[in-house]
Amino acid sequence: MAENILKLFTSELKVINIGLEIFRDALDAQGVDVAQVSWQAPPKLEKEYEDILSKIL
Amino acid sequence: MIEQLALVKNVVKRNFQRDSVQLLRLSEEAKKIHGVRDAALVMGTVTNKEILTKLGLLTDEGRAATSSDMLLAVMADSKQETDDGLREIEQMLLRPPTAKARSYYSVEAAMQAMPGANLAIVSIPGEHAKDIVLKLLDLGVSVLLFSDHISPEVELELKQSAKTKGLLVMGPGAGTSIIGGKAIGFANVLRKGKVGIVAAAGTGLQEVSVLLSEAGLGISAGLGTGGGDVKTKIGGLMTLQSIDALERDPETDTVVVVSKPPDNDVEQRILDHIVNKTKKHYVTCFLGPESYDVPPTVRFRVKGTKTLHAAFYETALTAAPQLKAQTLRRFMLSRDELISIANSAASELKKSQRYIRGLYTGGTLEYETLIILRRLIGQVYSNAPLEPGLKLPDSYLSMKDSIIDLGEEEFTAGRAHPMIDPTIRKMRFVEEAKDPEVAVILMDIMLGYGSHPDPAGAMLGTIEEAKKIAESDGRVLPILAHVCGTEQDPQPRSEQEAKLKHAGVHVLPTNALMAIAGVLVSRRNAVDEDALNDVYANFLGSF
Repeated sequence: MAENILKLFTSELKVINIGLEIFRDALDAQGVDVAQVSWQAPPKLEKEYEDILSKIL
Repeated sequence: MIEQLALVKNVVKRNFQRDSVQLLRLSEEAKKIHGVRDAALVMGTVTNKEILTKLGLLTDEGRAATSSDMLLAVMADSKQETDDGLREIEQMLLRPPTAKARSYYSVEAAMQAMPGANLAIVSIPGEHAKDIVLKLLDLGVSVLLFSDHISPEVELELKQSAKTKGLLVMGPGAGTSIIGGKAIGFANVLRKGKVGIVAAAGTGLQEVSVLLSEAGLGISAGLGTGGGDVKTKIGGLMTLQSIDALERDPETDTVVVVSKPPDNDVEQRILDHIVNKTKKHYVTCFLGPESYDVPPTVRFRVKGTKTLHAAFYETALTAAPQLKAQTLRRFMLSRDELISIANSAASELKKSQRYIRGLYTGGTLEYETLIILRRLIGQVYSNAPLEPGLKLPDSYLSMKDSIIDLGEEEFTAGRAHPMIDPTIRKMRFVEEAKDPEVAVILMDIMLGYGSHPDPAGAMLGTIEEAKKIAESDGRVLPILAHVCGTEQDPQPRSEQEAKLKHAGVHVLPTNALMAIAGVLVSRRNAVDEDALNDVYANFLGSF
């Protein structure tokens, strides 16, 4: 079952970075191909709005 | 001259988020605004509010902020300057982030744009990580999961999925890996070579890999598994998966397995696996005072060690037996050499100065120090102690001999790790300097990608301040440091060491040697001879 990991060791790295941009910048600086996902937390609704929404939906 | 009283003002932006590193950068920018004396942009966590209080930057308004609110704080000499400063900070927040190529709003979009993606780094809040990691695994992508606050149940589910698919989930809480010669997360620039490392301890991986690289050996791969992997609940799933991969990797001759002490059943499982299912050379380091019995039949290829230093040393001897003793000499100071350093550092200590204090950013290095100190001086207090009875009642307040892991939750909630943001260590350093019982301060300086761009330089002002505080009280304050990094790192090791030496800091080549030297300074070399002999014979490797 180690084939995929062995392939990872020898393939050119292609990285998806989800979250802290510092990790993207570090890979960029090493010439690694990296795509950044600008993740945002789902907005927190006020409790009263949440209650109204839960009644409507 | 009467100093003008500064004005402090806070603004709370409700449900407004930026990641901790972005906030750190914005804070640095805000401090440079004309007329602003000090400024901070932080999430309103308890930790951050405590720190702002200590910095004199928190008002009643800011105190009301919650962990999902952003708190802006400005200190200036006048109301006008405070208001202007805050206005400028608000403008900074409105500024769209610098557009960089290849930025996407969903994992699907990123995957479409990058066919053949083979690794993902996930560092979003833990409660949101599970679905994303499962999706990545389904797409055949291994994951370095930096996020924490993920339950053991979820960790198990993620790792079982990875095991089935022959992939890796490194983490949760894993910040360091080396794959294809690249530093992933907090990692160093290393020589390529034949040693593979599996580590459930991030800065342990850094210390061992850095020392091997600096000694002229190289690393084939370094796989972080996260500390939870060696708990009973997870059963070492990814440790074993990583061992299997390195066992089959033609580029790897020797494998090092590094971890804080695993749960007993997991330790046995890992050892049984190494003894029965592998053929390569292995060096294990479970950072404990007890070493297990390696069956005689495999002793020629499996060695157990108690410290990172010993793991490095034994690996160097195993992987490169031709290595000249002279090459390793740089990393192994004799007792006499350490005693000589201690003599010079401790010569002017006052009688009251009896205790050792360690201010660590690397958790595994902190643990290694505790292991060595326990053997040499017995009870040592910590916020992350070896035994529950030695836990400091207040992590912010040292007592007697204390070694602090500044990367623990109570210092990092809603903040960048102290390897990136030196604020918390700088504040603590000053506090330790004020304590007339402190004989010596130890600190680690972690280099590499992910870390502060100039971690030694960032401490220089504080080192000077600490020495002045001691001096004004008629004391000297010896400071020891270990720089964990390579010459090829973005912050070259020798430059970082030179800065510290110039500031009067004694620099030691490994963390373990720094720990021993610290004890010798604080005890004026009056250390139990048997204990010191034992540490040299059994904790540092066979030399």
